[in-house]
Amino acid sequence: MKAARTGLIISALAAGLMSTSAYAAELRVTIWTGNEAHLAMLNGFAESFKAKHPDVTVRYETIPPGDYIQKLTFQLAGGNPPDAGWMFEDAASTFANAGVLIDLAPTLNGTEGYDFADFSAPAMGLWQRDGKVWGVPFSTSPFVIFYNKDLFDKAGLEDPLALAGKGEWDMVKFQQTAAKLKAATGKWGFEFKDGQGYDTRIMHALMPPIRAYGGDAWSNTECGFDKPEAVEAVQQLHDMVFKDKSIVPPGESGDYFSGNAAMTINQISRASLMSKAGFNWGIAPLPTGAAGEAPVIGQAGLVVFANAKNKDLAAEFIAHMTSKENVATMAQFFPPARKSVLSGDAFITSNKLIPAEQMKVVADAIAKGQVLPSHEKSPQILAAMKPRVDALWRAEANVEESLKAVCAAIQPLL
Amino acid sequence: MREAIEAWLFVSPIVTGFLIFFLGPLIAVFFYSMTEWNLLSQQATFVGLDNFEDALTRNPDFWHVIRNSVIFAAGLVPLNMSLALVLALALSRPSFGAVFFRTIFFAPVVTSAVAWAIVWKFLLQNEAGAVNQILALVGITGPNWLREPDWAMVAVIVTRVIKMVGLNMILYIAALQTIPRDYEEAARLEGASNWQIFSTIIWPLLAPITLIIMVITSIGSFKVFDHIYLMTGGGPENGTLVLAFYIYEQGFKFFNVGYASALAIIMFFVVLALTIVQLALRGRNAR
Repeated sequence: MKAARTGLIISALAAGLMSTSAYAAELRVTIWTGNEAHLAMLNGFAESFKAKHPDVTVRYETIPPGDYIQKLTFQLAGGNPPDAGWMFEDAASTFANAGVLIDLAPTLNGTEGYDFADFSAPAMGLWQRDGKVWGVPFSTSPFVIFYNKDLFDKAGLEDPLALAGKGEWDMVKFQQTAAKLKAATGKWGFEFKDGQGYDTRIMHALMPPIRAYGGDAWSNTECGFDKPEAVEAVQQLHDMVFKDKSIVPPGESGDYFSGNAAMTINQISRASLMSKAGFNWGIAPLPTGAAGEAPVIGQAGLVVFANAKNKDLAAEFIAHMTSKENVATMAQFFPPARKSVLSGDAFITSNKLIPAEQMKVVADAIAKGQVLPSHEKSPQILAAMKPRVDALWRAEANVEESLKAVCAAIQPLL
Repeated sequence: MREAIEAWLFVSPIVTGFLIFFLGPLIAVFFYSMTEWNLLSQQATFVGLDNFEDALTRNPDFWHVIRNSVIFAAGLVPLNMSLALVLALALSRPSFGAVFFRTIFFAPVVTSAVAWAIVWKFLLQNEAGAVNQILALVGITGPNWLREPDWAMVAVIVTRVIKMVGLNMILYIAALQTIPRDYEEAARLEGASNWQIFSTIIWPLLAPITLIIMVITSIGSFKVFDHIYLMTGGGPENGTLVLAFYIYEQGFKFFNVGYASALAIIMFFVVLALTIVQLALRGRNAR
């Protein structure tokens, strides 16, 4: 029956082919936001593109993030590819290696005043190889600590931003602070990103501490989860969950945004939720570890599909969207990868919800940070990791053995 | 002749739909199952029966998944059917509250699967969950239901049974209401006990519907997908990774369409075999 459903979807997509647009010069761009402010801004770019191409219209197609990669793949497989689209960092390599993206380098380098060298090299790491550019990052958003100032005050503790200012905000302090918060307020000290650290956000939960201790998920083709740095970092998280009981444990929900956890980790796009939170809050850098500061960045890029009808035009549109001027406009929602925009005051004053002092934290993290791990087999790697990471998150688990099992599972895929 | 053409014209919409949306894809899946086809890169190579061979002999996950599907079905089918029968026996006669309780037990069937799963995920939290808080009142420390593989399987089976039992209950009630009351009254005059009436009159007369219920419930339990997707995502530790969910992962997350098709064909034959066995057993008992 499942098979029949698979076939049915493919047939339906095939039927959809016949209904492609009648306009030769309409660009279709897939995105995963439906936010009105985002759409208004994006439509603005479409309008300004008309200055050069008066006959070209741009249609944005919103696909929810959870279905994005799947639906996009069906459009590509069904022979009905969009011209351009947003791309998640963890899927970027998969798409580039499958040969479904075009090299944007000739267009970008050929666009007057584009200044490709302005993009920071670490931010471009994922999107270019051997001189070819598979995508241009439009959002380079570091993970930061969101904290509930009221709960810190109630517990009589210095908040993370103040501690970071004094150079005392490290992993040890993080563990102590979380435990004290739990004891003093009865609320959880820390919650993983969106409460999903044990399920869909495994990497977001594990990578910040692992990198703070100097480890990584993998380097080249070697798994890094069983290296001493990673083991130390994960052991600390494990202790916080099961010994200190300061991190929201598996099988419970905490929810920072409704005031039930004092700290969480997230990106500044989530600041939009904070206006309704009903408590005082702030953002601070990630705690440092043995390796010093090691900010972790989540990225999204703009790509053009190889089988698109208007791929040259689409590449031009990407160059237009990521011009200096337009990247500065986008910075209010999506932190930029262009050094010129990042260094100016415009960026740190761009977000109405976050004070300039705290936006500096974001700007610093972008400059120094490293993007989350990506691999052409990301979906398979995550699926292979999941059951072994589940086993790790048991109170009686041996962290080192569990991480060895993670490596045993993913090493063949690397 | 003219009549025949008219008849074909009348049935043509449904036949066309059946051919395009059911038979066509079904045949296509047989073909896909013999290819190694990556949906994203659009590269397909004919590999014969390699996908089947890999699943059956080389892929350890496959047998784990089959084992999970069998456990799920073995837990769900008897529990669902016995509960449905008990409810039907209690609620088949028009009595005070019968209609009310029928509605209560049938309501989950028409409730959205998503809402059902979200509510149960809350109720089954470790310390904050209502289920464990109630257990704590009577001195039992409940497990972390959805985070321990064995308990997670119990949790998905029981919540699935509660959701779907109303459907089988209605089928049993309908069957019970077709049994003439005279049989029971005659037996009672002869001095038969309630148990004797049930075991020698009602249960044998329910045999045909019991078979139908068993077949559809077994097929449904092998095909379960949404409930697993929403409650556990196949976890923890792959403890609830059942066949339909595994096919979804292969096809829609890893884009191995050929491999997923081969697994779907295997599932097709498993369900077919199961149905034939049940029908054969029924045929033998009837003789």
